[in-house]
Amino acid sequence: MSIEPLLRLTGLTKQYPGVTALNDLTLELPPGRIGLVGANGAGKSTMFRILLGLAHPTAGHVEVCGIDVARDPIGVRSRLGYMPEHDCLPLDQTAADVVSTFGELSGLPARAARQRASDILDLVGLDEARFRPIGGFSTGMRQRAKLAQALVGDPVLVLLDEPTAGLDPIGREEMLKLVDRLGSFGISVLMATHLLDDVQAVCDHVVMIDGGTLVVSGETSSLLERTGLVTIDVGHHTDDLVAALARRGVTAVAADGLVEATVADDAQMDLLRDVVAELGLPLFRLSTRLTSLDEAFVRRSGELA
Amino acid sequence: MSAPTSSVGSDSADSGRGAVYDRGYRPYEGPRGRRGAATLALYKASMRRALGLRRTWRQKVAPFVLLGVVTVPAVVNVGIGYVLRDRFEPFEIVTYREYVGVSAALLLFVALVAPDVICPDRRQKVLPLMFARPLLGTDYVVAKVGAIGTILFAFSFLPQVVLFVGNMLVSDAALDYFTGHLDVLWKVPLAVLVLSMYYAAIGCALASLTDRRIVAGASVIGLFLLTSISSGIIVGDSQFEGGSYGALLNVLGMPLHLRDVIFLGHIDPSSALSGVGGGGWLALACYLLVLGASSAVLWWRYRWVER
Repeated sequence: MSIEPLLRLTGLTKQYPGVTALNDLTLELPPGRIGLVGANGAGKSTMFRILLGLAHPTAGHVEVCGIDVARDPIGVRSRLGYMPEHDCLPLDQTAADVVSTFGELSGLPARAARQRASDILDLVGLDEARFRPIGGFSTGMRQRAKLAQALVGDPVLVLLDEPTAGLDPIGREEMLKLVDRLGSFGISVLMATHLLDDVQAVCDHVVMIDGGTLVVSGETSSLLERTGLVTIDVGHHTDDLVAALARRGVTAVAADGLVEATVADDAQMDLLRDVVAELGLPLFRLSTRLTSLDEAFVRRSGELA
Repeated sequence: MSAPTSSVGSDSADSGRGAVYDRGYRPYEGPRGRRGAATLALYKASMRRALGLRRTWRQKVAPFVLLGVVTVPAVVNVGIGYVLRDRFEPFEIVTYREYVGVSAALLLFVALVAPDVICPDRRQKVLPLMFARPLLGTDYVVAKVGAIGTILFAFSFLPQVVLFVGNMLVSDAALDYFTGHLDVLWKVPLAVLVLSMYYAAIGCALASLTDRRIVAGASVIGLFLLTSISSGIIVGDSQFEGGSYGALLNVLGMPLHLRDVIFLGHIDPSSALSGVGGGGWLALACYLLVLGASSAVLWWRYRWVER
């Protein structure tokens, strides 16, 4: 299948005096929701600046939607939306004003920009607050307003820099839900974060970088492997279960109030269920454990080192 | 109005009694401008901000009070002219040339508005968002200086229109007055343009150096006070003895020398620069120098792309 890649980085290198921010990155990424993962200082923000044409790479080149950033940065920027990590909105203006002005700055006619600003603020859940000054917004509302200004120009790709930073659990959940929906609107997402859980929740594709070097790039599902471990939650009866399983020849350990058992096949899975039933224990959860992205990240980084 | 089917990715509750429609997302398929459109949009947004439009009434007070204040001389002149229309032939408390100088009061406006239009973008970190759009640093500078320059031009020009039309109407023969003052029709706009672009560029350049409005405002006032006072000290009484180069130090006064050249064809005899050989050319050179320095500062502060 030959889909035009959304992003094509070839030998991308960016050096600052004394620091190599990006080191020979070569990547092709398909349209969709992409998580860009790395610790603080891994080179995520530098990559965003280069994609926007606001920083020139020391070596290599970048294409966004088939357009060479070095040759036509303006053309690339009119296809991108950008949501920075830090606060970046004028505090004394209303959300409607700010978002429609940014719509116009993206090249939309004034009328269309106002209409779209209203639609997008509705989409991100700020419909009732849109005539209030941004200075009075909560962190969650400001994040939504930032997302709205990134979307108002109808971008092909939005660059989200730590979109869940500073949000409470509910705000984070809602932000991730919004990011997740962008994919269904035909907008590709490149989300930089150091929270692997966020990526696991919404991204189809993961790019991990560390110290400016590519660690791994692949579909999220392919990085989550089965481990042969089963997690069982039986409340505080963990020791009873571990002992009973040991008698039946199943290796199990209690950890963090849960039991983790190593199973070889489906028959052993059935055995687990039967043992819990025989002991008359409450069964709250019985699940196959996947590696988390954290583990994949740590393992791949280790392999590279 | 917005049918859920017309939008991408919309979910609708499938209930018989009523439905909550999520309007979803509609891609934009209309026309799309590039740098020119973005610059124009920023220009308009900056003008709105400077005039206090779409802002609280308090933000509207300063610009419009100032417009009122600079119009007062015209109204007074026309009013007295009307009252005394049968007694004295030509009545003038303020000439068109002097009136351009009155607009120098708009310096206060620059000290107030240029920082307000420039500083918050840097302080509130809005600049990265702007430069993530089809907009270059030079476009940003053109839009901001253009917006302030336009308002300064309008605020200096409108009172002149009041004065001209008023004088014409109170004169004995309006048509004769008009044909007799045709030169004003190009001299006033040109002099006002020279003045407004100059103040706008200096105001924006100083404001671009800091992200604090109060500091920027104080620097604008400070620069003009300092240079005019020090120039005054150096010049002393020398205007009675053939002028002094010290007059060129007065940054505030530079466009006024050019105004004199535009209206009179030479430096005003009562000016401190009068008597200095090639004074007009020197004033023009200094004017361009200050304008060039301001542009260089602005270019340097908004060369956004790092190499």
